[in-house]
Amino acid sequence: MTTRTATGPVRIESRWARPLQVGRYLLLFAFACFFLMPVYVLVVTALKDPVQVSVSRMWELPQSLSLNGFREVWPKLRPGLVNSVLLAVPVSIISSVLGAANGFVLSKWRFPGADIVFPLILFGMFIPYQAILIPMVRTMRDLGMQGGLDGLILVHVIYGLPITTLIFRSYFAGISDELIDAAKVDGAGMLRTLAYVALPIAPPAFAVAMIWQFTSSWNDFLFGVMLTSKENWPVTVALNNIAGGQQVPFHEVMASGLLACLPTLLVYVVLGRFFMRGLMAGALKG
Amino acid sequence: MNAPLPGTRPQAANIPLQRARPEATGIRLEQVSKRFRGGVLAVDRVDLDVRPGEFVVLVGPSGCGKSTLLRMIAGLEAVSGGRIWLGDQDVTSRLPQERDVAMVFQSYALYPRMTVRRNLGFGLRMRHTGRPERNRRVAEVAEVLGLEHLLDRRPAALSGGQRQRVAMGRAIVREPKAFLMDEPLSNLDAKLRVSMRAQLSRLHQRLGTTTVYVTHDQVEAMTLGQRVAVLRDGVLQQCDTPQHLFRHPVNLFVAAFIGSPSMNFVAASVSGGAAHFADLRVPLPAGSSLATADRQVILGIRPTGFGVAESNGWPTLRAVPDVVEELGDERNLIIDINAPRVDTDATRAAVAARTADDALLLPEEKARFTVRVPGDHPVSIGEPLDLAVNPERLYFFDPETGQTLR
Amino acid sequence: MRQIRQWGPGLLLVAPSLIVLGIFVYGFMGWTANLSFTSARGRNLTGDYVGFDNYRELADERGVTGQRFGIDTQNVLIFTAVFVAGSLIAGLVMALLLDRGVRGESFFRSVFIFPMAISFIAIAIVWRWLLSNGTGTQLTGLNKLFSASGLGFLANDWFKSDSGWAIAAVALPAGWALSGYVMALFLAGIRGVPDDLREAARVDGAREPQVLWHVVRPMLLPVTMSALVILAHISLKTFDLIYAMDLKSLKIDTPALFMWFTTFEGGFYGRGAAIAMLLLAGVAVVIIPYIWYSVRAERRS
Repeated sequence: MTTRTATGPVRIESRWARPLQVGRYLLLFAFACFFLMPVYVLVVTALKDPVQVSVSRMWELPQSLSLNGFREVWPKLRPGLVNSVLLAVPVSIISSVLGAANGFVLSKWRFPGADIVFPLILFGMFIPYQAILIPMVRTMRDLGMQGGLDGLILVHVIYGLPITTLIFRSYFAGISDELIDAAKVDGAGMLRTLAYVALPIAPPAFAVAMIWQFTSSWNDFLFGVMLTSKENWPVTVALNNIAGGQQVPFHEVMASGLLACLPTLLVYVVLGRFFMRGLMAGALKG
Repeated sequence: MNAPLPGTRPQAANIPLQRARPEATGIRLEQVSKRFRGGVLAVDRVDLDVRPGEFVVLVGPSGCGKSTLLRMIAGLEAVSGGRIWLGDQDVTSRLPQERDVAMVFQSYALYPRMTVRRNLGFGLRMRHTGRPERNRRVAEVAEVLGLEHLLDRRPAALSGGQRQRVAMGRAIVREPKAFLMDEPLSNLDAKLRVSMRAQLSRLHQRLGTTTVYVTHDQVEAMTLGQRVAVLRDGVLQQCDTPQHLFRHPVNLFVAAFIGSPSMNFVAASVSGGAAHFADLRVPLPAGSSLATADRQVILGIRPTGFGVAESNGWPTLRAVPDVVEELGDERNLIIDINAPRVDTDATRAAVAARTADDALLLPEEKARFTVRVPGDHPVSIGEPLDLAVNPERLYFFDPETGQTLR
Repeated sequence: MRQIRQWGPGLLLVAPSLIVLGIFVYGFMGWTANLSFTSARGRNLTGDYVGFDNYRELADERGVTGQRFGIDTQNVLIFTAVFVAGSLIAGLVMALLLDRGVRGESFFRSVFIFPMAISFIAIAIVWRWLLSNGTGTQLTGLNKLFSASGLGFLANDWFKSDSGWAIAAVALPAGWALSGYVMALFLAGIRGVPDDLREAARVDGAREPQVLWHVVRPMLLPVTMSALVILAHISLKTFDLIYAMDLKSLKIDTPALFMWFTTFEGGFYGRGAAIAMLLLAGVAVVIIPYIWYSVRAERRS
């Protein structure tokens, strides 16, 4: 012990600590490989030269990098990407604004029966959409909103209300009631309390709700395929169409898959923190 | 009290506010009740008349309904019964934003995304006061409270004491009919709390605004209030000046709650013009209504109601100190009394509301007294001493109702 | 009166949302329910009232419809069991691996969770290739990887297998997509256990596995329930993934797909509505107690 002075902190660990630690990292790397394997295939194949693409050589690295796949597929996928942007951006903004208002009322400006209404709203988040699909398609047709993006936006906003309401309700529930009381005593009514006191502290909740809605409307397939005509297909429908076609070379399929995922992946990489909070909110309690 | 206060700027604090309110407004509560959903009666038919310009403190143990009462005055809580008057206006059914009162919250409730300047001016802005007038009043109040150098900061960048002053300032700027304060000092550390208490008193003297102040701390209540209203279980027990409350409590609860250390209680019997407890016979004070009575009572003695050095011919009690608490100038002795202890809801409620070191007052079996003696009087643990009981400072309570017997 | 003036504006603000949700969720569910008792065919949604005939048909194993629905039900149950169990275990293991300060934790976490940001369509496109059952010169995907690394015995036909368990192969991409999410839930749960508690146990002489078992595990029950419910309801609803993997294969057919085909390809709206209602019932059984429990837990705190 006396010889061990001043050599840094003394570690308290058992004999097995080191091997366990090595095993832990090995397992973690194994998991990481599993999760990255499809990405590897996607990227590697998308970058391969057409002549190099063959099923039996899918794991091999490309001998030369080629953007051929992207070039081929871009004209086919571009309208879908544009449509999805035109869809996901308004959806995320509108849903968040409505969710903020609902969440504020349900947590800080409650009305009798709010406790009953909220679980009913929540249930809307979990329903299988098959259960509303037939009347929904029929209604949209009757409203003349089938085929275009406006109908799809409307539907995504409506079925996004439960989750955005939940996100904002949880967020506002975390701020002190005294803050709202202070605004009331200071002379603010509901709208001004919302505008001057609640919304200014809600940017994190906006980030969470907008990212959630952006991602889910971007990745949606069912509503898109039911409600839009070919020229208004969102990217998922377009992608499925390309991938499902006969004789489409693998590198083109993979290139379109990569392109279709990039926007949401970008959001994930840049704003992962808020993305995670949305996921946690989706489980009702974090 | 007049020494410079930590965290404040005394030279600024001495500038008088230019425009104290010409006439203040009173607050009148008539039979105000609050029943929460689920049936809990939080406030039970409270009558209270706060005179214009008066500083009234609502005090009581937690859950006694004092905060609810305050929130009803603010309009944040609807009343279940009774009426609330602000001056000559019945405001019972008005929303908070329609009552001209300002409130200071325990958590200060400063708007986190606004600067101190905008926090101070928010109430005026919501009431459509013009910008020049607003800026003038904000500047004025900031000067009085020594907040000028903090005006462009956000609340997160302020210390606890500074936040507290901003919260005060936000109320003062409005020049409201009344200030309502909900434990505004309880989040400060002990030293700052004492200094803010003094500041608050001075501020009230200067502004003369009617103030209702809620606290659970009876010391704070006694030092701040012109009158103190003691609440228990939603019922107003007594509303009086601190002195009168201390000298003439109307019941056991008020007697036990007010004063520090707490009043000592012991079960006693009265007969033949004297009270008997623990082998002691104490003559009743002259003119007592109990002079001819023959009954059981609860007897109360303040820790200061004993004499050690001189006996003045008072009956004396031989006792052995169990614990000696040194306070410097004075000592608290804790002694066992050979009499059953008093354990009623009222004493328990009063003691529960007090600080933890007072819990010693209610041991298991026998009664225990706390006795305050001068610091120069020699005492030591285990050494018997004679305590003279001052008959003039005895209190008698009905064991059933807890009412004071005079 | 004062009360109404207090909360009235709030109700007014949420009223549009409530009305729209009332129509689009509950009104439409009622409409579907109503439709499921008719013989509606074609897009006009008109048909005679037939009572429970549609449901009876789905239950009748002798008919073509009943047979398919039987297979579908079995499929979705297998899928749910494999997917839920697999994701829970994988998620828990990953959370435990990450729990105690690992270098590069945020990297691993990001890698485990990023699939949540990707559409099931894209996931299906990659995975249907990885799970290809080609042999000989067509050998590819995971099977190729297995044979190259001497694990050839692991190779199989995946979701193209003839066995009734073909759908279990789809749990692999589904688990790939969601086990990171489960990991995040567990990690949050484990980290939610106060350090004091764990340290107290260590001071009391518990070793790390004992701390996990006696202190952490009991506190993970709510998180496990959450994860279980979320995964189970997702698995019942899974549509895009299977649709894009192989939409024509009966082996990986599920009620969610069957409803879609029956209704929008076959035009049997009444029958489709009946399948949808059964699907809804399945989800409701899992979700309603969960919502009830969550709301109550919140009200208590």
